[in-house]
Amino acid sequence: MSEKSGSGPTGFDRRAFMAGAAGSALVPMTARAAAQDASVSAAQDPALPVDVTLRVNGKDKRLHIDARTTVLDALREHLKLTGSKKGCDHGQCGACTVLIDDRRVVSCLTLALAAEGQEITTIEGLATDDHLHPMQQAFVDNDAFQCGYCTPGQIMSAVACVKEGHAGSEADIREYMSGNICRCAAYPNIVAAVKQAAPEIMKG
Amino acid sequence: MTAAAPEPKANMGHPVPRYDAAAKVTGRATYASDMPLDNPAYAFLVTSAIAKGRIDGFDLDDARQVRGVIDIVTHENAPKLKESKLFSNGGYAGTTIQPLKSADVAHDGQIIAVVIAESYEAAREAANRVKVSYTAVAPSASFESPGTTTTAAKGQNAQFKEDPEVGDFAKAFDAAEVKLTASYDTPTQHHNPMELFTTSCAWMGDNLVIYEGSQYVYGLKNGVAEQLGIDADKVRVVNPYVGGGFGSRGSMTPRTAIIAGIAKRLNRPIKLVPTRDQGFTIATYRAETRHEIRLGAGRDGKLVALRHDGAEVSSRPDAYCVGGTKTTTRLYACPNVASLVSIVRADRNTPGFMRSPPEVPYLFALESAMDELAVKLNMDPVELRRINDTTVEPIGGKPYTSRSLMACFDEAARAFGWSQRSPQPKSMSDGDWLIGYGCAATCYPTQMAPSAARVRLQRDGRTRVEIAGHEIGTGAYTVIAQTAAERLGVPLEKVAVFLGDSDLPPAPVAGGSNSTASTCSAVMMVCDRIRQRLFKAVTPSDSLADKAKETVGISQAPSTQAAQSDRPLDIEKAFDALGVGIVEEYGEWKPEGAPLDSFTAMHSGHARLVGGHQMKDRIAYAFGAEFVEVRVNRFTHEIRCPRLVGAFAAGRIMNPRTARSQLMGGLIWGMSSALLEATEIDERNARYVNDNLADYLVPVNADVPGVEVILLSEQDDHINPAGVKGLGELANVGTNAAICNAIYHATGQRIRKLPVRLENIEA
Repeated sequence: MSEKSGSGPTGFDRRAFMAGAAGSALVPMTARAAAQDASVSAAQDPALPVDVTLRVNGKDKRLHIDARTTVLDALREHLKLTGSKKGCDHGQCGACTVLIDDRRVVSCLTLALAAEGQEITTIEGLATDDHLHPMQQAFVDNDAFQCGYCTPGQIMSAVACVKEGHAGSEADIREYMSGNICRCAAYPNIVAAVKQAAPEIMKG
Repeated sequence: MTAAAPEPKANMGHPVPRYDAAAKVTGRATYASDMPLDNPAYAFLVTSAIAKGRIDGFDLDDARQVRGVIDIVTHENAPKLKESKLFSNGGYAGTTIQPLKSADVAHDGQIIAVVIAESYEAAREAANRVKVSYTAVAPSASFESPGTTTTAAKGQNAQFKEDPEVGDFAKAFDAAEVKLTASYDTPTQHHNPMELFTTSCAWMGDNLVIYEGSQYVYGLKNGVAEQLGIDADKVRVVNPYVGGGFGSRGSMTPRTAIIAGIAKRLNRPIKLVPTRDQGFTIATYRAETRHEIRLGAGRDGKLVALRHDGAEVSSRPDAYCVGGTKTTTRLYACPNVASLVSIVRADRNTPGFMRSPPEVPYLFALESAMDELAVKLNMDPVELRRINDTTVEPIGGKPYTSRSLMACFDEAARAFGWSQRSPQPKSMSDGDWLIGYGCAATCYPTQMAPSAARVRLQRDGRTRVEIAGHEIGTGAYTVIAQTAAERLGVPLEKVAVFLGDSDLPPAPVAGGSNSTASTCSAVMMVCDRIRQRLFKAVTPSDSLADKAKETVGISQAPSTQAAQSDRPLDIEKAFDALGVGIVEEYGEWKPEGAPLDSFTAMHSGHARLVGGHQMKDRIAYAFGAEFVEVRVNRFTHEIRCPRLVGAFAAGRIMNPRTARSQLMGGLIWGMSSALLEATEIDERNARYVNDNLADYLVPVNADVPGVEVILLSEQDDHINPAGVKGLGELANVGTNAAICNAIYHATGQRIRKLPVRLENIEA
């Protein structure tokens, strides 16, 4: 899939993709692959790779990927940023949570194409100069994880939870952290960690 | 100290932060599907849409048209694999249903094809375009379904050897002053660890590397080698971090050898990331169970007769069962005991171990029945346990190595405020909320298995510990590092630990809560050998060397006193005397009573667990007591659980921080098994309905306002050198009963079928 598709400077037109995707969604099981009809232009074939530039942790990353690639799979499979985890691929568990323009987003339900031009922050972008972010340190101090698989998502969600102003009380933290499942059930420790880190994060 | 790091009491280690904490909070901890592969192809599974019948044929034309498709593997062209026996019958496999072997379908969601493509997206699309025609047969889904067969478990499953009994139950029950007969049901549950059941396979010539979250890398390595028909030394399983196991990764699933075989054929690394719903059928689960309990007691509350009959669902070919009567017949003093476990075969995938496999369903029945008996006797349920407490188990008459059950009840009752309880049902409320208090006992067998370890010490104190143990969230890295640091007398930060790699010295399955006891005992033994070598180097006289044996030798001493008593041992001086730069020892440890073939079995991926009720002269269990508050809304019948308090005694606590966290998570699991978790089964199609994390309810943060864990100090010199009982599966037992007991107290309604949902509350 390294071959570049040939129409226009990016090889892709987002409007055409949306039309193509909508069209194919109507007849997903019967639609024949584009290869059958040579006259179908590249821009209309959702199976052809596209060029995407993602801004991740302050750096631009050029990718040539399947148009259906999610932000999560773009990070994990193409950018080798495997901190964000796949736990359900359905937006049900929160393990894939990243910040996009400072909002917490489940990256498994966000197409990479739809995140172009936005600032993506992942767990790998949180610590600076080898210093843990206050939320990361609070997770360590409060033993807010066990197996650690949901932890990157919990931490990204927790940072946003504080910035949203939803860390004012334990009840608030519990409610606004309930989109992130921890099967080991470190929940009371996660609440303690968010409480510890909140004042420092609000100070900036 | 934060709440997360409790002050250590007697016979407890330091609550140091986790060894792997920084890796886990920065995203640097690499789980199986995070491992980089060179130009991988992606696999996507196609699973069966029927539960029983045959595949008549595939129409793959559409699927093959998808750009990037490399191969589509079905039973018609799949790599030939050898069979593997069931784990509980001495093999490696969690099921003997081998997909892609024939056109037969044995359960819903069985793997029937694997699509390989250049990208995940293309593989997924092509999998969705695979068309299958079947000849379907009406399946048997569960207990109620026609077509199931029921047989006694004894004799079918190597791990279920006997139905415990003693005395004359029938006669004693007949004559008992107070009698209780009650039936209890527990539902199907799925582990749902956060990490999906991913597998990556890469060959280098004849050597295979498997990246897969596993609770038993030696079992998986040997099992896959057996299925592929290759030398086990050619297979390496790597998983330095595992994203939760809970039993689901203890035995080999069919997917691994399939992916390995395809990778070999295509001469390319293959990465499989199954979906969450596929995880419900390509791995194991906790089967639904049914119980009948009969208790006979005197008016003084003393048990005179106890009978526990259990029935469990399994698949057609595999006689899997958990058989928890081994525990419920031995928990309380009672002279007349009988039991029977049956297996009901249905058209389902084979069930398997899930956190406290026997105890969660079987103690739900017993501990609910004990509460019902207390009501009949008009007695406090804590006092009923006290009256029937024992230091000797009734079946074989063997003494418990230690038993702090009532100490746990008393500590937890005090912390909970049990004395504030007004015993009458429906007598406590707060506005629209009926309040109920309930309690139950928990216990879990102390188990150990042979384990090896390699330890390398450098002159400057830097230490490297290698052992193929598993970090599944338990804190294995941390407690192993602490053990080596304490035993060698080196600073903790100088200890590096390597786990999760089958090229390292073998460790047992991370199951049955045996890991800490087994791996730490092995590490202690090997560290002691290093100290002995060093000590001898600077103490040439034989008599002193003998003294060294006493103080730092391979003693069974459970504390670190031995390691401390001969200080100061000047490590640098000893190294200079030895004239070496590194001292390294490899050693193999086995627990008392381990069978003769233990070490051979250990290397071939068979864990010989001993302990619990199977010890020769004693019986070893960890104990605890759990108290819960439930609130049931008078009008909406909504059930909330604002408080869970548990007190636990489990021998030496290696690290109060990681211990507390595991027990806390366990209490929440216990609450969940009472109020949330159940896999719903479509009876017509023998199909799991709620096979995703939105519909299969697991607790979220808002579900658990208050959890308190109390660690009791306990010393047990009869179990293993580490003095550890194991507690990973202790806290999620009995909680389900405690909650139903509290619901009875709140509402006057006794609920004997889990989970309890608001529609189950009457008025």
